[in-house]
Amino acid sequence: MDISRYMAVPLGLIMAPFLLGVINRTKAFFAGRDGSPLLQAYFDIWKLLKKDAVYSRTTTWIFRMAPVIGLAAVIIAMTLVPVAGSSLFTFRGDLIFFAYCFGLMRFFTVVAALDTGSSFEGMGASREVHFSTLAEPALLLGLIALSKLAGSFSLSGMFGGLSGSDWMGAGPAIALVAIAIFIVFLAENSRIPVDDPNTHLELTMIHEVMILDYSGPDLGIVLYAASLKLWVLGALIVNIFVCAAGLTGAVGLAVFAGGMFLLAVIVGIVESMMARLSLLKVPQFLIGAGSMAVLALILVLRFVK
Amino acid sequence: MTLLMDSILVLLIIAGFLLLSSSRLSNCIKIGAFQGLMVGFLPIVASGSGITYRIATIALVIAGMKGFVFPYLLSQTLRESNTIKEIKPYIGYTASIFFGVLSLVASFWLDSRLSFSVAASSRLVIPVAFSMMMTGLFMIVARKTAVNQVIGYLVMENGIYSFGLAIVRDVPLLVELGVLMDMFMAVFVMGIAIYRINREFDHIDSDQLNTLKG
Amino acid sequence: MQINAGLLLPLLFALPVLSAGVCQLLKSALVILRFCVVGVVLVSALVFVAVVMVFRNGMILAAGNWLMLDALSAYHAAVMMTVFVISAFFAVGYFREEIDREEFTLKTARRYGSLWFGAMGAMMLVLVSNNLGIMWVGIESTTLLTAFLICIHMTPGALEAMWKYLMMCSVGVAAAFTGILLAAASTGSAGINSTDALLWTNMMASVSSLNPVMVKAAFIFIVVGYGTKAGLAPMHNWLPDAHSQAPGPVSAIFSGFLLNAALYCIIRFLPIVEASSGNTGWGRGILVVFGLLSILVAAVFILGQHDVKRMLAYHSVEHIGIISVGVGLGGLGVFAALFHVFNHSICKALSFCCAGRVGQVYGTHDMHKITGILRNVPIFGTGLICGILALIGIAPFAIFMSEFMMLKAAVDSAQYWTAAAFLVGAAVVFIGALSHAISMAWKSENDGNTIPVVKKFSILDAVLVFVPLAILLVLGLWMPQPLAKFIIRAAVIVGGLS
Repeated sequence: MDISRYMAVPLGLIMAPFLLGVINRTKAFFAGRDGSPLLQAYFDIWKLLKKDAVYSRTTTWIFRMAPVIGLAAVIIAMTLVPVAGSSLFTFRGDLIFFAYCFGLMRFFTVVAALDTGSSFEGMGASREVHFSTLAEPALLLGLIALSKLAGSFSLSGMFGGLSGSDWMGAGPAIALVAIAIFIVFLAENSRIPVDDPNTHLELTMIHEVMILDYSGPDLGIVLYAASLKLWVLGALIVNIFVCAAGLTGAVGLAVFAGGMFLLAVIVGIVESMMARLSLLKVPQFLIGAGSMAVLALILVLRFVK
Repeated sequence: MTLLMDSILVLLIIAGFLLLSSSRLSNCIKIGAFQGLMVGFLPIVASGSGITYRIATIALVIAGMKGFVFPYLLSQTLRESNTIKEIKPYIGYTASIFFGVLSLVASFWLDSRLSFSVAASSRLVIPVAFSMMMTGLFMIVARKTAVNQVIGYLVMENGIYSFGLAIVRDVPLLVELGVLMDMFMAVFVMGIAIYRINREFDHIDSDQLNTLKG
Repeated sequence: MQINAGLLLPLLFALPVLSAGVCQLLKSALVILRFCVVGVVLVSALVFVAVVMVFRNGMILAAGNWLMLDALSAYHAAVMMTVFVISAFFAVGYFREEIDREEFTLKTARRYGSLWFGAMGAMMLVLVSNNLGIMWVGIESTTLLTAFLICIHMTPGALEAMWKYLMMCSVGVAAAFTGILLAAASTGSAGINSTDALLWTNMMASVSSLNPVMVKAAFIFIVVGYGTKAGLAPMHNWLPDAHSQAPGPVSAIFSGFLLNAALYCIIRFLPIVEASSGNTGWGRGILVVFGLLSILVAAVFILGQHDVKRMLAYHSVEHIGIISVGVGLGGLGVFAALFHVFNHSICKALSFCCAGRVGQVYGTHDMHKITGILRNVPIFGTGLICGILALIGIAPFAIFMSEFMMLKAAVDSAQYWTAAAFLVGAAVVFIGALSHAISMAWKSENDGNTIPVVKKFSILDAVLVFVPLAILLVLGLWMPQPLAKFIIRAAVIVGGLS
């Protein structure tokens, strides 16, 4: 019990950039390339941290604050997510706090993008806000459905309360939540089909365009925070599946890490198989996720005592 | 058994959402076919171990009709009409999905108000049936392309069929076959009608059929 | 002579279906039209035999109780055959002109003949079936079969009308099926064998053990669903389009019996819902509301109408409304409504056929351009004008009598608001239609485009126009005892009189 409780956050902090490597290698495999090394993300971040930062004269302190606040917010969120059944902190209602940690991160990213005064970044900010207004309800509704099902209003209680019999009784609802959160996960982490992390075509970018003006250590922090976000949101999905097995301790940690690895492979496969959606279709995609979450919530409310 | 049944019912709802959000007519036909196939299999799943040859035969015939014959007829029509997608529906796709969610909530609410004694094994059947009926009706009203309206009609029929499955223990065989024959004729006749409309007007948008008034 | 009832009822349905097949084999358009006349006379003879049997011995059951003919359905069958006879005879004259102009080819004629007989078969199925589900199958089949009768000539307007008709009626009738499922579910506690649960006779027999809430819900779906097909407002939008675009003899069937067939299904279900909900008049009240709404809506649209066939179509909406008000009033009202069914069907079949022929002569259905028809097209002009006069309830015709009885029923049962709304609607229709009729009949051409005067006419045409008018006139003045007795029996089934 204790080992997983105290190891969860360090595991995430260390392993998160590794996921990016796995995703890239999977994509490379499907494209028939060798691809970059698995640890490429670590190299990138290390390289950026050694450089000097360049700031535009139009920016203010907000622009410099944003990466740090983002990193802080995502690390706080990480302490709430249970790994192998327990998290570092837990309190009643922490799932709302969890969701709004990401809200805080997004707020500062967006404000910093506006702070640069660049029209491109403003465009990206507008898209980010538009899509996140659709993604956030899907995430919250999905989490609420799970918490109603497990009878607990905190993240660790919620995942701890899930069991194999819940899957038998309300399987469709849980599967719907998993799909909805997976879609939110793709959207929040700017993966295909919502956004393409590799493209640098301003017309189609969302997240990448907002961080165009960062350089040096700031960019490194932004990259690191993004990989942590991928880890934390991914942990939710993995937990839905792993927690039902009820594993704890070192075994639980290992299974969890394996789950994360598998998730990264799946993301890589999805990215290889799907094309980016046109910007007009993205809201439909996210509302689709939202409607699945609503459906799951209705199923849980109506049919599970 | 309820797990399988519930999963199928959830798939039916998701198919409804997909129908509300897709503009490409060939996709709509495929999704409709999938929904029809699932609806066809419902009686087999619902009857569980008490399955008889009669139920199985009817279910297979219905699944075959809804899953293969109707979509085939529709895609033939589509091929001749040179239409690929619904360009401008009366109600946009995003708003349509919102409607789908609302109708879903309304169906569950309605189901909680009316207490039917359910013959099928899952209590989900009736709200899902309501939601399919509403989705179908909505498609008929909110879409302009004639093919989409026919799909809407079929979705509505799927809803009514599932509703019947839930509340009536045994619809007589003759009635069931008569209904099926009528549906086949309906799709057939509508297909010919679309073909004629396309030949006469060079499109299959029913909003331009608006000369008769008053 | 003993006729086997078990054979008669299936034959009633099978003969039209067989004739529909024969039409595909005939080699000339005119022969097909004549075959329609022969076929309809044959079927009418059978129906006559059946009606006499029902009149003498009461209800006939056949095919394991799945087929049934009682006074109500026999009466409707008689009305239906009258309409089809008028349509068949008129079709010969109507399409002969189009054959001459090569607009009515052999292919069209075959399609027309088969669908015409097919529609007859489907409506007969509705009337003779005892099973509510099969009744639904019949109604849905009529929709699909008659859809292509509207566009015998593939004009844009006709296609548009057909599409509206197809979609609205299919959806409406699908809603009615929900009602039938609910009705089937309501028998759950009645202990009827599930295969026979939907048989009307069984439901009536065990009406007290039906679940009343389910039956009420079923009735709402059935009224809305079949009401769409019957043309009750506000579900009537398809009706004026379809009636105005179809050729005359087809409009005659549409207005003369297609609507009544759907209304018949509602009337069939009424005694079940009334008896199971404890005769509180709940179901009747719904019918009165829909009926009055139809009358008022139709009245408004008739006032500003330009197209003569559309005007007649709105008359159909009005009269279907009148019939449902009558059934809804109960008592004498049911008797009057059933009598009205016959009057309206004959009159409307005649009017549509005459309007079709007049339209052929003038090349338009616009009432501003159709002027002086009494002089230019004497026979059909007279038929059309007299038909309209009868429809709006001019005194000696039978429609006046049935409407008067209905009013009496309303006043007797102290439903003054119903009577008032009914009167207002009828008065508006009277004014609107009369002004249209006067201008068509006597106004002289003012814009100089002269119309070819058709003085020549055959004796057959004259007979065709004047026999239905004579029937309407006679029935208005004197009702034969057997007819009255027959209608009373039918009314008893609906629960009107006892």
